[in-house]
Amino acid sequence: MSWQGELNRFLASAYKNWIISRRNIFTVFELFFWPMISLLSIGLLTRFLAVEGSMVSFLLVGAIALTILQVAQIDVAYVLLFDMWSKSIKNTFIAPVRSYHLVFGALLFGILRGSVVFFILVAVSGHLFGFDFLAGGIFPVLAFLAGIFAMAASIGITVCISILTFGQKADVAAWSLSGLILLVSGIYYPVDVLPPLLQALARAIPLTYFLEYYRSIFIPGPHHLMWGAALASFYLTLGLILLDRAIERARRTGILLRLSE
Amino acid sequence: MSDKVMQITEKSVQAKGICKRYKSFFGRSATILKDISLDIDASEIFGLLGPNGSGKTTLISIFSTLIYPEAGSLSILGMDARGNRDAIRRCINISTAKPNFPWSLTVKENLRHYGMLYGLYGAALSRTVQDQMEAFELSEFQDHKFEDLSTGLKQRLSLAKAMLNHPRLIFLDEPTTGLDPDISLKTRQLIRRIHDEDGISVVMSTHYMPEAEMLCDRIAFLRHGSIVALDTPQNLKRHLKLGERICITYQGEADISALQGQPGVLGLKAENGRMEIAVDRGEESLDGIIKLFSGAKITDIEIKEPDLEDVFIELAR
Repeated sequence: MSWQGELNRFLASAYKNWIISRRNIFTVFELFFWPMISLLSIGLLTRFLAVEGSMVSFLLVGAIALTILQVAQIDVAYVLLFDMWSKSIKNTFIAPVRSYHLVFGALLFGILRGSVVFFILVAVSGHLFGFDFLAGGIFPVLAFLAGIFAMAASIGITVCISILTFGQKADVAAWSLSGLILLVSGIYYPVDVLPPLLQALARAIPLTYFLEYYRSIFIPGPHHLMWGAALASFYLTLGLILLDRAIERARRTGILLRLSE
Repeated sequence: MSDKVMQITEKSVQAKGICKRYKSFFGRSATILKDISLDIDASEIFGLLGPNGSGKTTLISIFSTLIYPEAGSLSILGMDARGNRDAIRRCINISTAKPNFPWSLTVKENLRHYGMLYGLYGAALSRTVQDQMEAFELSEFQDHKFEDLSTGLKQRLSLAKAMLNHPRLIFLDEPTTGLDPDISLKTRQLIRRIHDEDGISVVMSTHYMPEAEMLCDRIAFLRHGSIVALDTPQNLKRHLKLGERICITYQGEADISALQGQPGVLGLKAENGRMEIAVDRGEESLDGIIKLFSGAKITDIEIKEPDLEDVFIELAR
């Protein structure tokens, strides 16, 4: 198959997600309403508590990271959720597609939507709370976003694996996994405040390291960006392998057929 | 395209000892298919018949590599299904009963999406989508969302989708279920055209005996996950003596022994002035049969086609 044909197999998922999102009024809520609510509530809380400048940065970085993560990870999960909800999953898996075609195609659209949300939140937080996201230059922003999108891909893959393993009821994972990330990866507080067991868990989550790295621009401190990048790559690779296995298992158990009925 | 894909074969499906069980989370299992073995020629339209739950959809899903069998060997278009799944998937496609596609995508967008999944791009993608919309008379509905289509249009979209990758073998799972009679007829004509004009091998499942008779060169009857009969429609009816039935209500005497020897008569049953005669070809046999009722007064004649139920009652004996 030519490279253009192979590229289109990736783009197929992005194309489907784009059209479905374009026609869905609730996309407005995902892209604008909830992100703005999240940012404004945290920003206003910092004002009410008279939080000093560096702490405002700390909290706003967390709020923005969580929002982008949620937007991008749901897009990856949508690659299977849309098919499952419309009971058309067999039409996708009768085609010669692999997990990476589906995941990276959907992730591409997730990156697009996540970037739109990021630019909106950056503009609003800069205007209302005087927060300068480019304080450290462009590279830290790109590294930070890359880390969030890699994490989003891993969460989205986990949702897909859950659906293929446990069936339709597992779609609740699409909205609950980012809650776990919120709790343990230091979105609104340093992971040092967590109990030892949760701290160990936090150290296994790449987002923890990307947050520490980006925050180190505003509040100087140690960070382990490369370790975070290595973990993110590891989870992404492992996730794709496990997703392929989950697809094969769903073919063996017949779940793939039941998800279409 | 790999050499394996290009390999010339005379068999579209070769299955041996296919078994399938579904296991529940708590370890309970249900056997769906038992020791299915059959060879399907690439040149034929092959029918899988059986009641609900007989395993037709599961068998078609296994043949199309959508799900895997628990035991047995399977070769599709000459390629071993275990080691060549991607190559097989490039050469086959499926259209299912009660087809479903992403709801908010239009006809054209759905076809584009699935065309992209098969690696079509650029002008070839646009042309293929356009060709299939024209072939299945979907052009005027191209901007209609899937959720707004009638059942017949959804079925035509499903068939158009199944043709996107120019398959060598197409699986149709109950393609006319739930369709109005006129749409069913049109769908059958489309299936016939796909086979005759495009040279595509067809394996289809159906509930309807007339549909199978109209389209299929050979039929396998499935019951409780096993093949209970496998032959051409004519041979099946002949062997099971389930041709058309001429039901004659009469007063007086009829020559039963002469009727039994009449050419085309497969069997008969007479009681209380009513005779049911199984014949090979109803209308052609009718003249000769009526002559043998010269000593009686015929009050009613009805010609009935055998239905699936008749066949299964016979096969279950």
